[in-house]
This record gives sequence, C-alpha cells and structure tokens, in this order.
Amino acid sequence: MASPPSPPLLEIEGLCVSYATAGGTLRALSGVSFRLQPGEALGLAGESGSGKSTVALALLGLLGPEAALSARRLRFGGRDLLSLSPEERRRLRGGAMAIVFQDPFTALNPSLPVGRQVAEPMVFHRGLAESEALAAAIGLLHQVGIPRPEVVARSYPHQLSGGMQQRALIATALAAEPELLILDEPTTALDVTIEAQILDLLESLRRSRRLSILFISHNLGVIHRLCDSVCILYAGEVCETGPTKAVFRDPAHPYTRGLLASLPRLALGSRKRLSPIPGTLPDLEKPPPGCLFHPRCPYGDKRCGEQSPLLSSPGPERSVRCWKAQEIRGVAWEEAAGGNGRPAARGDEPADQAVAPLVIVRDLRKRYRLGGFWDALVWEKPGGQGWPRPAWEPKFLRALDGVSLAIAAGEVLGLVGESGCGKTTLGRTILRLIDPDGGEIVIDGRAIARAPERELRPVRRAAQIVFQNPDSSLNPRKTVGEIIGRPLERFRIASGAGLRRRVGELLDMVRLAPSYASRYPHQLSGGEKQRVGIARALATSPRFLVCDEAVSALDVSVQAAVLNLLEDLRRELGLAFLFITHDLSVVAHLAHRVMVMYRGGICEEGTIAQVLRPPFHPYTEALLSAVPRIDGERARIRLREEGPAPEFAGRGCRFQGRCPRLLGEICRTVAPPVLEPLPGHRILCHHRLETLAAVASPIADEAPPPGA
Amino acid sequence: MPAGPPEPGARRRLPGNLLAGAALVLVIAAAALVGPWVAPFPYDEFHIRDRLKAPDAVYWFGTDEYGRDVFSRVLAGSRISLFMGVAATAVSLFCGVALGLTAGFFRGRIDEWLMRLMDLLMSFPPVILGLLILAVTPPSLWKTVLAVGIVYIPAIVRVTRSVTLELAQEEFILAARARGENAGYILFREILPNAWPPIIVEASLRVTFAILLGAALSFLGMGAQPPSSDWGLMISEARSYLDQAWWMAVFPGLVMCLTVVGINLLGDGLREWLDPRLRHGGA
Amino acid sequence: MILYTLRRLALIVLLLWVMSVLLFAITQVLPGNVARMILGQFATADAIEAVETKLGLKDPLAVQYGRWFSNLIRGDFGQSLIMERPIGPLLSEALGRSAILACLSFVLVASAGILLGVIAAVRKNRPVDHAVSVFSYLGISVPEFFWGIVFILVFARFLGWLPSAGYSPLDEGLWSWFSRLIGPTLTLTFTLIAHISRLTRSSMLETLRSRYVLAARAKGLPERVILFRHALRNALLPTITVLAIDVGWLFGGIVVVETVFAFPGLGRLVAFAIERRDLPLIQATLLVITAIYCLANLAADLLYAALNPRIRYARRTS
Repeated sequence: MASPPSPPLLEIEGLCVSYATAGGTLRALSGVSFRLQPGEALGLAGESGSGKSTVALALLGLLGPEAALSARRLRFGGRDLLSLSPEERRRLRGGAMAIVFQDPFTALNPSLPVGRQVAEPMVFHRGLAESEALAAAIGLLHQVGIPRPEVVARSYPHQLSGGMQQRALIATALAAEPELLILDEPTTALDVTIEAQILDLLESLRRSRRLSILFISHNLGVIHRLCDSVCILYAGEVCETGPTKAVFRDPAHPYTRGLLASLPRLALGSRKRLSPIPGTLPDLEKPPPGCLFHPRCPYGDKRCGEQSPLLSSPGPERSVRCWKAQEIRGVAWEEAAGGNGRPAARGDEPADQAVAPLVIVRDLRKRYRLGGFWDALVWEKPGGQGWPRPAWEPKFLRALDGVSLAIAAGEVLGLVGESGCGKTTLGRTILRLIDPDGGEIVIDGRAIARAPERELRPVRRAAQIVFQNPDSSLNPRKTVGEIIGRPLERFRIASGAGLRRRVGELLDMVRLAPSYASRYPHQLSGGEKQRVGIARALATSPRFLVCDEAVSALDVSVQAAVLNLLEDLRRELGLAFLFITHDLSVVAHLAHRVMVMYRGGICEEGTIAQVLRPPFHPYTEALLSAVPRIDGERARIRLREEGPAPEFAGRGCRFQGRCPRLLGEICRTVAPPVLEPLPGHRILCHHRLETLAAVASPIADEAPPPGA
Repeated sequence: MPAGPPEPGARRRLPGNLLAGAALVLVIAAAALVGPWVAPFPYDEFHIRDRLKAPDAVYWFGTDEYGRDVFSRVLAGSRISLFMGVAATAVSLFCGVALGLTAGFFRGRIDEWLMRLMDLLMSFPPVILGLLILAVTPPSLWKTVLAVGIVYIPAIVRVTRSVTLELAQEEFILAARARGENAGYILFREILPNAWPPIIVEASLRVTFAILLGAALSFLGMGAQPPSSDWGLMISEARSYLDQAWWMAVFPGLVMCLTVVGINLLGDGLREWLDPRLRHGGA
Repeated sequence: MILYTLRRLALIVLLLWVMSVLLFAITQVLPGNVARMILGQFATADAIEAVETKLGLKDPLAVQYGRWFSNLIRGDFGQSLIMERPIGPLLSEALGRSAILACLSFVLVASAGILLGVIAAVRKNRPVDHAVSVFSYLGISVPEFFWGIVFILVFARFLGWLPSAGYSPLDEGLWSWFSRLIGPTLTLTFTLIAHISRLTRSSMLETLRSRYVLAARAKGLPERVILFRHALRNALLPTITVLAIDVGWLFGGIVVVETVFAFPGLGRLVAFAIERRDLPLIQATLLVITAIYCLANLAADLLYAALNPRIRYARRTS
C-alpha cells in the first residue's frame, strides 16, 4: 500500500497495560505502538500470551477495572481516546469502532433472535426504530452472504452453523457502519473451508465499504492473505512492523524469523526439518532485563541481555526492535539455531509396502443414534390419509461408514478432515476405546474388533494414543513421574528403582529434564504437557501410536518442536503412526500417506505426493485451495456451507451436498466408483480421471512429479 | 489475555471467610467435645427452686421449667446437633458418592434408573420425606440421622454424577482406558481424587441443611425425645413458656445460628478456594 | 411443546400412582400392630379387634389397596381416624388457607429474591452487596421455627403490634385476617429469599462474565440494555429451576411455620396426622402435597422452556 498522505485513523503510541497480581505486577502490554491508515488492513500477529487481544480490548475501553492502562498517545479518527468520558467511549464502541470476537457461539446471546442482535447497534447508534432496524438487519444478513435472511433473523444462535454465526456477528459489527473493524481471531474456531469463505467475505466487504481493519490472529497465513501490513507482538511488545509481503519475505526480527521457520509448509519438495524457537514465553510478572526475546534468541549477545533494544528501520515503512537487526541480515534462523536445514527423512525412505502392515482395518463401521427415544417417534399417515399413526424411526449418524486402511511399521498415515467427519472416532475405534458396530481391526497380528477387554492386554501395550488437549490429557492430581510410571506398573515392565530409571529415560526421550518427574501438570507449559503425554504413550514401548490432533492446541513455535520430536521417535523406534489432524500443512510435513475423510468415509487416499497433486477428489481440491498460506496463492475453490443437520442417507456420494463439481442425479443415487490413477492412489468420484486431472494444482509444486 | 506460564509453587491466599468459618466451627466442635467436663451442671439436673430463672451469674443462659441450666443444655445439645449434621451427611455422602460415581461412569440403563429413583426421592419435600420416614415408627435419634441422610442423598448423587460425567470425558481417562485399566482403578484412582473438591463443598453445605432439618424434625417432635437436650427440641419445649422465659428459646436458637453460619462460611470459603476458575487468579 | 407437556403430565400421573402404592405400603408394612399404635399401649384385645375390623385390616393387602385406591379416584379420601370426619372437606379447608400463605410467600420470594440478587450482582463488592450477603447468610442459617419464635417474641410479646398466632377468617375483618398472615409469611419467606438472592447473584455474575455480554458491551449498548436484555434473561434460567425445588422447601416450611403460629392449614394437618398416626389422613395429605409439588416442577420446566430457545426449538433443527 502506497503511503497515504491522510492522517492515520488509529494511532497508538506507548500503550501499556498491567494487572496487579499477588506476586507483583503483570505487564500484559509494554509500550505497544502502531498506526493504521484509513482503508488499511493491519494484521496483529503473535502467539498466545503475546497480548494481542488485550490491545483490542484496550482500544474499545473494555479492559475492566483491574487493568491499569497508560499510553503516550491513543487517538482514533483524530480524537484522543484517553480524554473521552465513559459515555463517549460507549458511543464509539459498536459505532465507529466495532469488533468481531473469536468464538461465534459464545459471542451471541443464546436467548435472543439473531435479527434483533444484529439490529441493536442500529437502534442505539443510528437511532432507528426497532422495526426499521430489523428490516435493515435482514438486508445486512443478506449482504454477508446468509441465505434466507428473513428466516435466519428470526432464528436463535444455536440453530445456525458456526460459519453462519460468524457471518451474523460480522453483520452486527457492520450494523452501525464503523470506520474501524477489529477482528479478534475471527476464523480460528472454524473449519478451513468455512474460514476461506469468511476471509473472502471480509475482503469483499473491505473493498465495498472502504473499511479499515485491525486483524488479530496467531495464523500468519490468514494475515498474509488479508492484510496490507503486519505488526508482530511478542510478550506484550511490538518486535516488528511493516508491509506484510516484505516482512514475510525478509523478516528482520529474530522472533519473526523463528515463527516463519517453525511453520510447516504445504508446498511439496520444500520439506525441511522445522526449526522451532527454544524456550518459553517469559514470565510477564518478572520480565527478563534487556530484550524480552533474548533468552530464546540464537543471535543474542551480551548487550541484548542488558539493554532494551531501540527501534530501527530495515526498509521502507518498516521498523524492528532488535540491536542486531543489521548484523544478522542474511544469517538464516536455521543456521543460527543449529537446525541446519536437514531435510525431513520421509522423502528418502518411503515406507515399504511389501512388508505385512502392522495395523489393518477393514470396513470399519460405527453409527450413533441421534436424539433420544422420543425423538425417533414420528407420526405418519399410512398412505397419506386417515389418522396419523406412531412409528419408531430413529435417525443415525454414520460416524464410520466402512473405513479400511493399513499402516506399516515406521509409516505415518495422515488422516485429514474437518470437524465432525469421524476422524477422532476412527482413531479411538481402532484402539477399541469405542466398540465398532462392524468391520475388522488387526493390530500386530491380533484381530481385536470383537475381542473382550481381557484379551486386549497385549494390544493395549502395543498400541497407544496421544491426545489433543494438553490440559485435559494429564490427571491434575498426579505428578509427571506417576503419570509416566503408571503404564510401567500396569504392564509390569518395571518397578521400584527400575521404574524411576525408566521414567527418567522416557523423559529424556521427549527432551525433558529428569527433575520434571516430581512436578504436577499445572506447573508445566502446554508444550511440556504434550511431551509428557507422548512419554506416557511411549512408556509401554508401543509399535503403533494414534496421534489425535496432537499438535493442534500448540503455538507454532512449540508445535514445530513436538513435530520434530515425533519424527525423531518414528525414526529411532520404528513406530507406526496414525496422525489425525485438520491441518493439511502438518500432514504434508509429517506423513507418508494421507487419507482424506468426509462424513464417515474416505474420499481420497494415496502417498503425500499423489494427494497433493492432480487428479484431486473435488473435496481435496477445495481443502487445499482453502488453506491460507504465506507462500503464494492459487485459484480458489469455495464450498457451499450446509445446514446444521446433514441428511446423507447413505445413498450416492457422501460429498454430494457441498460438491462444486456435482454431475447430476448420479451423484445423489449411485455410490461413486474407485478411481486409481496410480497404484495406491484412490479417488472416489463419478468424474472421469481426465477431468479431475485437468486442474491446476492449488499449491506450489517444487518437486518433479513421480515417474517423470 | 494476559496469561503467562503458570508459576510453580504459587500459593493462593486462604479466603477470609474460610478462616472465620473454620475458627467458628472449631470453637463449637471443641465445646461439643469437652462440653460434659466444662458444663457448670449436668444437662438433665433439676433445680426445682430455680425454675424459669432469667440469666444471671450462676445460670448464664437462665433455667427452664424444671430448673435445668440452659447453658449446660445448649452445650450438651451441640454434641447432638453436630453429630446429627455430620452423621447424616456421612450417610448421604457414602450412598450419594457411590451411586453418583456408578451413574456417571457406567451411564446407560443404570444411570437412567438411578436418576429416576433420585427424581422420585426429590419429588418429596425434604421435611415431608423426613416426617414420612419417622412417622411410622417410634422416633429416635439414629432414625432421624438416617432419615435426614436419605433426604439429601439425591443432592450428593447429582453433584457426584455431574463431576463424574465431566471427568469421564477428559483425555486422561481415555488414556487410562487405552492402557486397559479396570473400572475400579479409573473410578477410585483417576476420577475420585479430582471429583472431591465439589463434593466436599456440597457436603459441607449439606451439614448445615442436615442440622437444620434435624432440628426441625426434633421441633416437630419427630426427632430427639425428652429429656434429650437437642436444640430443636429445647426450642419446641420453650414455646409454652415464651411469655415467662424468652431465654429458653433464644439461646439455643442463637447458638444454632452461629454453628450454621460457621459451617456455611467454611463451605463458601472452600468453594472459593477450590473453584478452578479462581485458581489461577488473573483478569 | 404440547407433546412435551402431555408427556410430563403422564409422568406425573405415574409418579402419583407410585406414590400411592408407596404410601400404602409404608403404612401397611409397619413394624408392630397398626391398631395398637393408634390406640396406644394399653388397649384391650377387643378394642384392637374392633379397630382392625373397622379399618378392614384383615382383608388381603391387594383388596385393601384396591378399595382405598378406587375411593381415592372418586375423590373420597376416607375418614380421619382421630377426628372421625371425612378427610375431603378437612383437606380442602386446610388447603385453601395454606394456599393463600404459600402464594403470598412464593410471590414475595420470587420478586424480592431475584431483585436482591440482581442488585447485589450489579453492585458487586459495594456496601449494598455486602448487606445483601449478610442478610442472606442470616437467612440460610436461621431455621424457620426459630425465626418464627423470635418474630412472635418481638412483634407479639414485646411490641404487641400483631397477634401471636392463630387464624381468623376473612369475614371477621380484613386486618384481623391479614395480621395473622404477616408472621407466617415473613417467616416462611426469609430463608427462601436468602436462598434465591444468593443464587441469582452468582448466576448473574456468571452471565456478566460471559462472552456475549462482553460482545454486547462492545456494541456500545447502554448499561441497562446489557443488564436486562442480555444478562438477566439468561441469568434467570437456573433460578427458575431452583424456585421449583424451593416449592418443596416451602411445604416443609409450611409444616414448621404453621406449627409455630398455630395456623390451621395443610402443614398443621400433616403434622397432626403424623403425630397422631392418623393413617388415612397421612396418606391423603402427603399425596396432595406431592401432587402440588410435581405440578410446581412442571410449571417451572415449562417456564424454563419458554425462556430458553435452545429447548423451545430443539426439535426444529433435527
């Protein structure tokens, strides 16, 4: 964006926010400064704990009485926010300055119709009558792409899907025609295809309404996609600002570089071992002296630990807070951090398909009845006439609808799909944490689909699971040593001193110090908890691990370290993985083969190189094109969003409801055939292979195609 | 969200009401324990000449219609009341936790039936249920305890069940199941240690309900029997002498209020202290 | 919604039937001889024989139950053993008096409890909040019977403003009627107001911390709109459920309070029946109380559904 001559819409200089705590003062923000020009979209990026949401609440004046706020300058549209009365601040909120929060479901009032909630700002800021505002709200709902807005306006939030709820919130924010729209992680709670739609909507709204946007996100890809400039926050401080493209192409601050190096990429052939940022966020009650980042910075020297760095400018419209920004130009993070860009091992050692697979699953089925006994009761008239008679017709959700797979020792099978597609059910059913309705499961030569629990013991030892949520996966009342030691006890692997030694070894295996054995989970950071969860799973020396969204709850820098750890363990121990995730980039980084799941069934599977290249299943194609990335964009395919209660009755293709390439009646009535363009690459679709192959790949393809 | 990494070893201050409540409860419990040895008179000793005497230096709380020392009787009553509260709560705790864990963990039909049964129990107003249990047999203290205990089983079952349901969804329970742990281990080693805080809080409040309900039943003549010095019974007996001797009703009542306030403070303090939302402080 | 109501009504009928069996069983499977319990320890064998014949106690249990139950269906509750009068009129008279007391109390509890709770939550940690919390501590810690006695001591004995007890029909003068209601009502409500205000305060505070209230603040709505439109409606949901449970407390309270104030209502009748072991009267009164309690719960559930769209519209989404 060319530098505009007009005065900035938003000017923040030296914004500090602190909280008084029992242990002293917690500095949530220390001296945050940035500007936002009219019509500009500024991304505020940072990991959890960086203070990005605090900036938004401070701007709106919603921090609450326990926060102490100070700033050299806090101006919006030429007005000094600090000198406004509470009443004037209130009028600004939702008027000239509106916000969309992260989780749409909790941000909408459950007991008010959506239309009224959208209309409210118009009543209170523009003085419209209730009925006028309601009519205008329907118009707004239409503008944000909600079909049948009159119906939606009368609905309650729980009747809408997540994407629709977020659109309704955006409509609410637009209701009073704001100049500045603040978006606080607006797409984080949504599936990637829905996220893409919302981003499209924001882009078009921004153009049509000349909105200025402050976009807060931890997701650099999303910021790259939407924002002109970016401001990177770390521990309540701005470490770098500048035009998005320039910052991402040539990051000046070590932290920015670390973040980018930690990011798994979707592009083929550029797979390198990730270079995570070591250490954790500093304690904001006792911040380190000098540069806040220096304890984690591979470039740092003595001065960084003594004096807080000043801002310098590495390029036009850019600024960076680092003493060594000039010196370290051209020294890649990987070099400095010692990761030296070692390629990931996967490419050079493809899993040997000739060996008998360790895990075999055939035609696995699981269905759940929807609703209770009474919900299944329907009244129908036989032959359409006479008195209605009761009939009991329960509806079922097909969580697993005939899934088959095989995983060899030392192989990583990635399983991707959106929330609710049945991927977690699949992982748990394979381990018999859920009993299947039908099908076969063979692990290490033992058929376990119907075996009673007492016969599962050897399999329980050989197959383990790592969970998503580090806060919920460890028993808060047990020490790390007890948590890791219990499997050893249970399977009589070790006891007494041997057990303690083994716990130490396991901790070492996941790169934690032996002293961690005596800590409790609440004394660990998220990444450390996840390592403990992995150590617990490894305690029985399993041969097969199910990783259910094992890195999804972690910040990128931590996620990279855990991904590296998993990769190392696979190589050292020859583990087989079922790696379940919604994040295609992570799968592309780690997996040998991928299965794409939609509504209880697999729609495409193959090696990573096969699945990331045409021919695509239409769903895979849409998924790939929806992923927001920091390395270039291709054509985008947008999926329709379905209502909250899909009615796939088991006929035709399971993707029929959202497919952008629907052929017609055949897709609704006939199950699609299996196409096999290459050995091991299977696509379930009615289209001809040539049609599917004749699309541009939505991702950068830097590796030669196989067999070329 | 200003959330740094949680610091190890950070201790939260004990809430004031917890301390005040604990102090009050301690004093009353101590009085109940050593009561018989420090009381100026045996609680059932008649002083026929000193009938219905107002409080003075000898009889601190005055005397009743038989000239018994009200102070000594109140002291002795604290034993009965505390015993009733604690024992009845123990009854409901024992049954309630067992049933709640079973219902919450095994779900399905057991859960369905147990909860219907609890609904049935809950569809009687507490005093009525207590009365019904006591109505048909001659009253006695242990029956009151049992009746009051049974009345509050559903409350404990509900709390236990809901915590268990919540905990059973946690991933560390799934991890235990992935190791093939049996139900006993999961219930008693994984779930119960985490379920205690809300149950304890609920139980501590139930103690006060039990004391009040027990006293009410005694007041109605369905609990402790004369010449016992239960507070409810003392107030009931005092009703006939309200004109001449207000102290006969007021002192047992006041002490009972103090006890209940103390336990309530303790329970509320515990709730604040154990509430996970307040645990990490912050904004 | 209609289906739901019908289903609930059917459940209540079922519950009442179970109750009738239970009541019958409890009064039949007593340890000891019923007739002896009625007549006392020193009754002669002849007298016991006579009573047993009179009550039909010698018939098989099923016959006894069938007789009792078919009478019940026809609205015939039988004869009180002690008062030797038909129970029906006794019951309806007492019920009428208690209903006034209960309704008065309930309205007071619901309005004052919710109001105090909301005020305390909005003025959190201010003097008003502290005052309300001290008040509610007292409320939940003072048993009704003691509160009633203090009330009588202060207002009847020492101040002499109000009559101490009893009941006076409306046609003997409005004040005479009303003055005898004040004591029982206030006594009855004190504990429950405390209970409801505590609950309302905490659920209101929780709602005020919610994300959608923050979102409403971010819309720049005036504080009163945030409080009443966004917060209160959601905060009342748990209160409503508890109000229904408190109806049970109210009945318990009525037994105690009517005893204290010698108020001739349903509670007094229950206490009397139990005290004197008047079996038909026990059965009849408890059945009526259970029925009322169940209906109160139903009313609360319907109100809950009416205020909560998630329940009201649950069906439409599936």
